[in-house]
Amino acid sequence: MSGGNLPPFAEGIFKADGTLAELVGSRCPVCGAQHFPARTHCPDDMAETEAVSLGGSGTLYSATVIRTKPPFGLPAPYAVGYVDLDAHPLRIFMLLDPEHTEDFRIGMPLALKSRALGVGLNGEPCIRPYFTPALKD
Amino acid sequence: MVAILGVGTTRFTQKVERTIVSLGVEAARLALSDAGLAPTRIEGAFVANALGGMLFGDTTIGQTLLRDVGLRRLPIVNVENACTSGSSALWLAWNAVSAGQMEAALVLGVERMCVPSLGLINSGRTEIDTLLGLVTPASFALRAQRHMHEFGTTREQMAAVVEKSRRHGALNPNALFQRAETIADVLAGPSVADPLTRSECCPIADGASAIVIGSDRLARERGAGVRIDSVVLASGGYENPADLARWDTDTETAAAAYARAGIGPEDLDLVECHDAFSIAEILHCEALGLCAPGEGGPLAASGATSLGGRIPVNVSGGLISRGHPVAATGVAQIAEIAAHLRGTAGARQVEGAKVGLAQCMGGDLAGDTKSCTVAVLSR
Repeated sequence: MSGGNLPPFAEGIFKADGTLAELVGSRCPVCGAQHFPARTHCPDDMAETEAVSLGGSGTLYSATVIRTKPPFGLPAPYAVGYVDLDAHPLRIFMLLDPEHTEDFRIGMPLALKSRALGVGLNGEPCIRPYFTPALKD
Repeated sequence: MVAILGVGTTRFTQKVERTIVSLGVEAARLALSDAGLAPTRIEGAFVANALGGMLFGDTTIGQTLLRDVGLRRLPIVNVENACTSGSSALWLAWNAVSAGQMEAALVLGVERMCVPSLGLINSGRTEIDTLLGLVTPASFALRAQRHMHEFGTTREQMAAVVEKSRRHGALNPNALFQRAETIADVLAGPSVADPLTRSECCPIADGASAIVIGSDRLARERGAGVRIDSVVLASGGYENPADLARWDTDTETAAAAYARAGIGPEDLDLVECHDAFSIAEILHCEALGLCAPGEGGPLAASGATSLGGRIPVNVSGGLISRGHPVAATGVAQIAEIAAHLRGTAGARQVEGAKVGLAQCMGGDLAGDTKSCTVAVLSR
């Protein structure tokens, strides 16, 4: 289920392109620092940032499976992790694929996808991004 | 120099049917009575409460509850800083007394949170990480997984933190949990966020704690012998990538508190730290320099942090067994250290304690804490 016309859980976090998705961040034109989530201004230079794609591939830094009652209508159990992005020096928090909850191991390659997953702040169904184990070449 | 003149802590429990105000009033009365000071001698008050606004719509409660103990026409400041709300209130009070703004100040932390509407604690409902499913136990489970991966820390070592905590809690009449629990029992419990079981996550509680601090002059008048040598409050660094196995903010805040007090970890007789989760105590022991980085697991399993060990940690039972009424915790830690330095800690007394440290952390942002406090006390 792709989610059809459902809204994203938040604006400006990711772009979905077919089954794969990529994260959207910001880059400071002065110091070059990259941020996720995107910021309108660099916290160090106060310069206006530009949008930058952060890609959709990474390596798992740490993961856990949460087995208590999930927030925002997420599946029970659900997995989350910190992921080191391959193309950018950023470590980000992200949902992990609910279909592979028990399969995540530190150091494994991951790919970003998105689908209808849980509800938003006002209880409305929405699309969330998540990392899934990357297919071996 | 700033001294502790009096302390008072209520029972921490999940069964109170009392208002925030009534809990706070009880702790304030206990501390004022312990200090032997008339309310008219208190020149300012700093009142911490983290969740009253969210859960009950109760805001600015300091003035409401202090009116009932005779504290009026004063600077009263209400403080919210997540789990460091209480210790941040101490930081404010310590600065006010140090600067000569007031001779004596009351610091109060109070929380009522055992209500069905609480849900899982997060670090801000509209933050992106929260919307992507980050709940507080997961933050620490992710640290635990990384610590196990990098340092070989075991689940048994983490469970040893809880086993020790339960033994200590059994000696504290104010603690929520006062029953023993074996390492096997801890590990057999249901998982909250892998690898952390239910017993490895601190329980919520209702309760309040208060202290009266005062100037040198007042300390001499009252014969108070416990000094606050340093209190440091810091936010996180929020650099990316965050290192989840080594907590720089924790280490740096502790280093600043040691430097200002002119001591090092080897001088400590006891520590109260923010053991919100088993892995948290292991990380804090490392950050405080009680052992080398990565050695917190073996330290917990060695018995060194037990009452009677090399450096007793959380002899109160800590958050894991005393319970964690959010804004009360940071004050209760100080009250606990003060009791040991005065020799009034009863069955859990650390014999001959001269120097103690209290560490507290609150909130979660970008893989770091929102707030960290470290205080050094001595006699």
